[in-house]
Amino acid sequence: MKILNKNKRMPLWLNILLIVVPLFCVIISLLAGRYFISPLEVWKTLFSPSFGEAPTTVVMELRLPRSLAAAFVGASLAVSGAAYQGVFRNPLVNSSLLGVSQGAGFGASLAIVALGGGAVLYPCSFIFAVMAVGLSILAGRIAKSNTNVTLILGGTIVSAFFGALTSILKYMADPYSQLPSITFWFMGSFASVGSIHLVAIIPMVIGMGLIFLCRWKINVLSMGDREAATLGLNTGFYKLLLIGGATLCTTAAVCISGVIGWVGLVIPHIGRMLVGNDNNRLIPVSISLGAAFMVIIDILARNLTASELPIGILTALVGTPFFVYLLKKTKGGVWR
Amino acid sequence: MSVLLEAKDLACNYGRHNVFHDMNFKIHSGEIFCLLGPNGCGKTTLLDCVLGLNFPSSGDVLLDGVSVSQYRRYNLAQKIAFVPQLHQASFPYTVREVVLMGRAAYTSTFGSPTEEDDIACEAALQKVGMLSYADKPYHNLSGGELKLVLLARAIGQKAPLLLLDEPTAHLDFRNELLFLEMMITLCREEGIALLMATHSPDQAFFMEEKGLNVTAAMYAKGTICYIGKPSEIITPDTIQDVYGVRARISMENNDDGTVSRKISLLHTV
Repeated sequence: MKILNKNKRMPLWLNILLIVVPLFCVIISLLAGRYFISPLEVWKTLFSPSFGEAPTTVVMELRLPRSLAAAFVGASLAVSGAAYQGVFRNPLVNSSLLGVSQGAGFGASLAIVALGGGAVLYPCSFIFAVMAVGLSILAGRIAKSNTNVTLILGGTIVSAFFGALTSILKYMADPYSQLPSITFWFMGSFASVGSIHLVAIIPMVIGMGLIFLCRWKINVLSMGDREAATLGLNTGFYKLLLIGGATLCTTAAVCISGVIGWVGLVIPHIGRMLVGNDNNRLIPVSISLGAAFMVIIDILARNLTASELPIGILTALVGTPFFVYLLKKTKGGVWR
Repeated sequence: MSVLLEAKDLACNYGRHNVFHDMNFKIHSGEIFCLLGPNGCGKTTLLDCVLGLNFPSSGDVLLDGVSVSQYRRYNLAQKIAFVPQLHQASFPYTVREVVLMGRAAYTSTFGSPTEEDDIACEAALQKVGMLSYADKPYHNLSGGELKLVLLARAIGQKAPLLLLDEPTAHLDFRNELLFLEMMITLCREEGIALLMATHSPDQAFFMEEKGLNVTAAMYAKGTICYIGKPSEIITPDTIQDVYGVRARISMENNDDGTVSRKISLLHTV
């Protein structure tokens, strides 16, 4: 099932595929929805939008921003998951490793309970997500021994701490308006995304760019700090760029979509089964797969039922059987 | 012969505990330097000082006359390659991908290996006889094969000095011999110097008998006690002094007129 066996550089067809597949998914997402718009009309609104008319409003102000947000969030979560797995030499870690999700979740809950929700939710969740990562790193620093393990431990501790704080807020929240909002935020959704939220694409692109630039160095880092250093790598420098980049794009992603589990863990593994463990290939493949997967999931979320389904439910429901299928098909693939 | 590496009055402490002190030795290019000593005497710490992973509390390690602490990581890796004793596999990379990591010191800041690195990697695999394994996952290899792959990775680094931490630990007879022969070829054909920490004085004898420039340093009580040609300094008395065991060194005359030395252990003291 592995589609590449020889260690050749990224072949051209794969490069093209990696760009075409997510783009194709985004185009499908423009067509899909309760309000019917023909492909021809979508084409027209994209290249000569007539603002004020219904099709243009639906495509340009609702479906396109939402679809782009989904693509970038999916790509960010998947690629940061892949980067964390490599840097921490642990195939079980995911993109919310350093407490990003719980930190952002607490920030969002605080905004909902104390500040009435609305636009303030985004900066608020961002601030607390960054704070959680900072605290994780500080907690990891207290024990000076094995920084990789202590950093993961720090993330776990801080996640638990912010989880508890969120529980306090849930306990205090109005059970008819605020509590559902908090619960839904933790399930993830792109329903409230508008053009304004596409600002978050900037940090996501920067973060992904850093990971992309250092992608081959992840291979070397995954040999462990000692070996990576003797192989000639300035481990501190690359870990800073990679962990910083992964944290930046995860934080931005979580802030606009809420908590979306599973993607950051499993998309990298699907990538490993398809193209192997070389991060030179795995990183671009994770970006592309993550984007395509999330756009498809968002199409399903919008269209499966009369009301919207939370994203987090679908990523697990669709992702799990697909992962099991791949596991069977590849017989554990490279994990034997 | 030019001096490649020099340890000058090297000392290292862990907190208050002194690991070693007054270490002085020189390694010339093409020389095999065997570091012999009991468990826990600080061989690995010494190797870490040479690799710039650990900082000596006093003294210095000079590489080509410049302190290793002055080197940038990639510069150092171009001069010293390291074959670790234990290697924990993380992800199931292919053998080729692992050996390519030896080229990290030659890739640009944000670069990946190039065609040139591919060629160096395949040449290194060829040299250790593992080219046919290039596209196999490396975590399925046996201990001996894994060691050869790690050696290939170090060869790909194209460094004039190779550091080995107990290179033949856990290897069976054939693999041990294969590995020794491989190192001898490297010294002979490429003029690479070896600094190896080992538990087996027999290996020092073996390489000396193959006509290489071997220096043995017996290391106990925190410093080098005996240093010189293996056949001269490894004696029953020095073995008793360093390891606390009584041993006999038997000599056998080979057909070609050379003498093979072998150590037989008698009892602990």
